[in-house]
Amino acid sequence: MSQNAGQTTPNTDYASMSLFKKRLKKFKSIKRGYYSFLIIITAYILSFFCPMLMNNKALIVRYDGDFYFPLLKYYPAATFGQTDYGEANYRTLKAEFEASGTGNWAIMPPYPYGPFESLTDPSSYPPNPPSSRHWFGTDDRGRDVFVRLFYGLRISLTFALISVTVAYFIGISIGAMLGYFSGKVDLFGQRLIEIWSSIPFLYTIMILSSIIRPNFYMLVFFISAFGWMGMTYFIRGEFYREKAKDYVHAAISMGAKDRKIVFKHILPNALTPVIAFGPFHIVGDIGALVSLDYLGFGLPPPTPSWGELVGQGVANIFSWWLVLFPFGALFLTLMLVVFIGEAIREAFDPRVFSRLR
Amino acid sequence: MGGLTSYFIRRLLLVIPTFLGITLIFFTILQVVPGGPLEQEIMKLRAGMASLGGGEAGGGGGGGTMGAVEIPAEAMEQMKKFYGMDKPIIARYGIWLWNVLHLDLGTSYVYAEPVWEVIKSRFPVSIYFGVIGFLLSYSICIPLGVIKAIKHLSKFDVGSSVLVIIGYSTPGWALGLVLLVLLGGGSFWNLVPLGEFRSENFAQLSWIGQILDQAHHTILPVIAYMIGGFATLTIMMKNSLLENLGQDYVRTAFAKGLPEKRVIFVHALRNSLIPLATGVGHLISIFLAGNFLIERTFNINGIGMLGYQSLIQRDYPIVLGFLVISGMLGLIGNILSDVAYALVDPRIRFK
Repeated sequence: MSQNAGQTTPNTDYASMSLFKKRLKKFKSIKRGYYSFLIIITAYILSFFCPMLMNNKALIVRYDGDFYFPLLKYYPAATFGQTDYGEANYRTLKAEFEASGTGNWAIMPPYPYGPFESLTDPSSYPPNPPSSRHWFGTDDRGRDVFVRLFYGLRISLTFALISVTVAYFIGISIGAMLGYFSGKVDLFGQRLIEIWSSIPFLYTIMILSSIIRPNFYMLVFFISAFGWMGMTYFIRGEFYREKAKDYVHAAISMGAKDRKIVFKHILPNALTPVIAFGPFHIVGDIGALVSLDYLGFGLPPPTPSWGELVGQGVANIFSWWLVLFPFGALFLTLMLVVFIGEAIREAFDPRVFSRLR
Repeated sequence: MGGLTSYFIRRLLLVIPTFLGITLIFFTILQVVPGGPLEQEIMKLRAGMASLGGGEAGGGGGGGTMGAVEIPAEAMEQMKKFYGMDKPIIARYGIWLWNVLHLDLGTSYVYAEPVWEVIKSRFPVSIYFGVIGFLLSYSICIPLGVIKAIKHLSKFDVGSSVLVIIGYSTPGWALGLVLLVLLGGGSFWNLVPLGEFRSENFAQLSWIGQILDQAHHTILPVIAYMIGGFATLTIMMKNSLLENLGQDYVRTAFAKGLPEKRVIFVHALRNSLIPLATGVGHLISIFLAGNFLIERTFNINGIGMLGYQSLIQRDYPIVLGFLVISGMLGLIGNILSDVAYALVDPRIRFK
């Protein structure tokens, strides 16, 4: 029915759309932000298929009439008649199969190098410059930079997404509590937040990191534990504003419980400004992770990480590929997220500047 | 004004519990962590005694005695006393606090000098970069933001937005490192030195040579410092001015026939500078905060580098001193920002 109306009078159709749909439409109309969003989402989803696209393990091996799936299972070298210790070397295996012509075959991923293997080339010492085999060169332990960049993308984005979600959860809950209950709770809570925000957070995380080598989730916890304070100011302010409005009074007079008023009535109205800031928080968290990894206080080795690569670049200043490629990846990612952020803010919170001349 | 004074007195009083809270947490953490100075000393002693014991035993098969060597209880007590570990944590914190109130932050394990002296010796370098970066970024961002606002949506505005976006999506230290790789004489061009604050032969240079050398070493770090606030500052300036240009008082000014230049630069600009005044208070903390990334990148021996190195060397008195000083500067910076805000905008009321 609304489609029918939409065909004849598009304006009324637009007016009858929900606020969220209007914003979505506006966001899609901002091409730069929308395409950035599509690119980032595609790259992020693709990065989950990294083990199939870039790996030193074969996808399928056909050996003496049997099928093997090395991606899913570990096979010692002896399984395929290789004499090495440890896991089978599928790249040489594939070459052997092709040379022997016995009907055995192996399908390798398109880019047949793994993120953790040291590619020791007897002719030179790592780090090796970019070549046709290793597009972005290798790092100081002979690991392929191109592969590690893509695995790093997945880790950086996942890290930022989880941290921002956790920080939002904490910040929104506390901000809502302060704004809704106000009075002494608000006063006391604000003082505590003030104390908490005056801790130099990067240095504190470095201290904690130097004491206990954090894993992924501990680092997420550290970053979000220091990343929620900014949100509380917005949410608190919104709650103060919304609380005075008629619909809240109506809800109270109908005997609604505190919890219902907070979550069902006020919160949906108060969320807009903080949601619009989400992408900028993601930029901040990716930056913080890269900084920590760069200083050596981030994720434990051998996690593929952009900051760790750049850190190697400082020690090997002549190996330009250790700095320029990770920086390029970082810059591109952050730029796309900034574009998305600008578009979301534009769609959620349009600023119209009226000028006389 | 009375409300304002009492507001700032309350703010200042709040610094005390904040300071106590933060320092107590970090003091406790740093006292109980493994790998502290006492443990390191014990390890060294054990290793030394083990090798000594092995030497005396000669060829008698001295292997496997490493763990068995015990340090005499008396020596242990002495060492604990030396490092102040013979008292409970709260008592140690009390002593430490008493000393801090007397401006005594303890003695560095690594440099064997008072912490305050070590930190003080690094101040000039960090202040040098902090002040230059601060002044340059304000003197570039304000005019740029003003032009962008006046020519909103023009070609210049759209074009310079590229710079702003680059600024948003680049951590300053990372851009500095890229420039260092490109221009530092590694694989591409050889235009700037590879970090450090000055050349090694600085003292032998003529005064012109000294100025040139210093400038040569300053360019890249200052660019890295500036990138940090560049985008935010420019956009803040632009939006603030745009917002003011839409206000009624600007309409009034135009209506009574004032020339456009006067309306923009005298009426609107003054009001739109107000949000930027808040940044001035943080001038005090930029000397310290967050620049260990840049100082590490350019190998500059400033205060950030000291904080970073002492964390790696587990020189905890310096770590704690660094925290105390940067925390205090942050708190004071916040208050100064509010003061600046209240001074430039009489409409602001604190309660």
